[in-house]
Amino acid sequence: MKRVALAAQRDLLALVLDTLVPASGEFPSAGAVALDHVLAVAATSLELESRLARTLQAVEEAARVDGTGDFARRGVDDRESILRRVEQSHPELFEVLVRHTYDGYYGHPTVIARLGLEPGPLHPRGHQVETAALPDLARVSARGPIYRQT
Amino acid sequence: MATDDRTDVLVIGAGAAGAAVAWRLARAGIGVVCLEQGDWVDPRAYPHWGADWELHRHTDWSAEPNVRRLPQDYPINDTGSSIAPLMYNAVGGSTIHWSAHFPRFRPSDFRVRTLDGVADDWPIDYATLEPFFDLNDRMMGVAGITGDPAYPPKSPRQTPPIPLDTLGVTIARGFERLGWHWWPSDSAILTRDYDGRRACNNCGPCDLGCPIGAKASTDVTYWPKALAAGARLLTRARVREITLGPDGLADGAVYYDRAGNLHAQKARALVLAANGVGTPRLLLNSRSARFPDGLANRSGLVGRHLMFHPYAMVRGVFDRPLGGHRGPIGCSIISQEFYETDLARGFVRGYSFQVARGLSPIASANGGSVGDRVPWGREHRRAYDDRFDRTITVAIIGEDLPEAGNRVDLDPTLADGQGIPAPRVSYTLSENSRRMLDHGIARAREALEAAGAHEVAFNPLLRAGGWHLMGTARMGRDPATSVIDAEGRCHDVPNLYIVDGSTMVTCAGVNPTSTIQAVALYIAEGMIRRRA
Repeated sequence: MKRVALAAQRDLLALVLDTLVPASGEFPSAGAVALDHVLAVAATSLELESRLARTLQAVEEAARVDGTGDFARRGVDDRESILRRVEQSHPELFEVLVRHTYDGYYGHPTVIARLGLEPGPLHPRGHQVETAALPDLARVSARGPIYRQT
Repeated sequence: MATDDRTDVLVIGAGAAGAAVAWRLARAGIGVVCLEQGDWVDPRAYPHWGADWELHRHTDWSAEPNVRRLPQDYPINDTGSSIAPLMYNAVGGSTIHWSAHFPRFRPSDFRVRTLDGVADDWPIDYATLEPFFDLNDRMMGVAGITGDPAYPPKSPRQTPPIPLDTLGVTIARGFERLGWHWWPSDSAILTRDYDGRRACNNCGPCDLGCPIGAKASTDVTYWPKALAAGARLLTRARVREITLGPDGLADGAVYYDRAGNLHAQKARALVLAANGVGTPRLLLNSRSARFPDGLANRSGLVGRHLMFHPYAMVRGVFDRPLGGHRGPIGCSIISQEFYETDLARGFVRGYSFQVARGLSPIASANGGSVGDRVPWGREHRRAYDDRFDRTITVAIIGEDLPEAGNRVDLDPTLADGQGIPAPRVSYTLSENSRRMLDHGIARAREALEAAGAHEVAFNPLLRAGGWHLMGTARMGRDPATSVIDAEGRCHDVPNLYIVDGSTMVTCAGVNPTSTIQAVALYIAEGMIRRRA
């Protein structure tokens, strides 16, 4: 399979990611924090890189059909509308893009911290769990055996 | 080809069942060699030590060998199956990535023909297995609480139950409001230090392994004891076939070592513990003039009657944080309200509810096991925040009945890295199982809504849910309708034993590992008794 230079479309990819997950309040956009992840996973697989490149190509083509042909010049509404058309016309390709975008976004320490979680390795810290007394099991126990006698 | 020294018993597979058998036999003074195609997992290699731990769930730590594609894995053609088989190839086998939910089969599960007129009775029963359940619980270490009315009285659990936390208390309230059965799950995860192992630190993703050994994978439970008792364990040893002596008995196995060199390991008896896909694959690959259709396959049943536990997943969204990312991912609450047969429900046999923990950040975005991804675009932030840490997922784990058409056979073209023919899995969900899952989805919705969920979604059949591989070398008294006898011996080859999920006559409506291991220990006891 021929290698496609996805990195050369970095700017377009960043804009697409920004449209998938825009910045909101304290949360950054996906273009800001997930772009490197998407490029990195694409670099591990020719097939994946090709799929993502074809998705971007579909985005450019969809932009060309009904406007200036430049995704970057469109407003937010237009960009979202273009991506929805690509999602409809190329559902499998688009699914891959969204999945890896979410992976990169919600795996990023900045976003994890914004969610109120502690970023970084789970070990050795683990989590504190409420160890309150068990709820009352008396009602369940009082039913007596519910298994069939054999 | 090098020929290794003959041993008393050759065990193939170092997972849940193989480890238990190797330990029990070695402790009885029997010489044991175990061949395992995987390797030891270094506790420092688990993803939990890295900030990107969650990204590994769908790559090198996926439960699907077809996704993971590690050198020690073999490919599986599952295009003809609505459920993808899951497994892990390592010392510890699939207990490396299991969630350690540890219910036992119930007494009625061994008597389904007598009680319900379907499938077949097991040739053994709950009472026979009970001491082995107890022994296995002590070896694995079980967190739980006795008194569950869904079971005959059990021996004391080794540690207190896993804390329910906010999520568990919330769903328990739903079951309480409906007057249904529920109980804190028996889990093979320590909540206190036990037997030289540390207590769980509630990090969450047990499905990616346990770096501190609180979860009972057999590399930290049985194997250290088995090795201390004298068992030998050879890793990265992939068995190509089982060999027969001139007397028609199994006399060993041919395997590739990690360098790809062929060896012959001779033994007086063999024990297959390669799981419900790997064991029939190995038997079918062991053809000879005596067994042209595969070893121990005169019945034609090797590979047939494959049972998964079909899972449906139902997720409720709540209006407050539930702390679901804290605590062991698979273990919170079990409900067996709809476990025993009630034909008025429209199906025979029944199912359990397993309430697992909540979803981690990436899983939340991608919809978890329900698979309904959070929408992208300007609505994304609100939609995600409405869902993250506010969901409870109820798994419906149904009893799949054995069907001869559901099977494992050999793929005509696919092979592993050594050129050994790979398995092909054919599986269709039965109408009975479909009705059972549909009933469970409706009841799970009731439970979630009673607990306060304001939005409920479901996945009618989890494709990546083939954790439990069962029935493909079934136990029975009649050689025409079963592969092994009540002592675990192949009818056709009496010194060849099978101890993994393949042996299961029926699969019950609960996770099978506790029962698989109890059966394995029971079979090992018989081997010891006969040797004496």
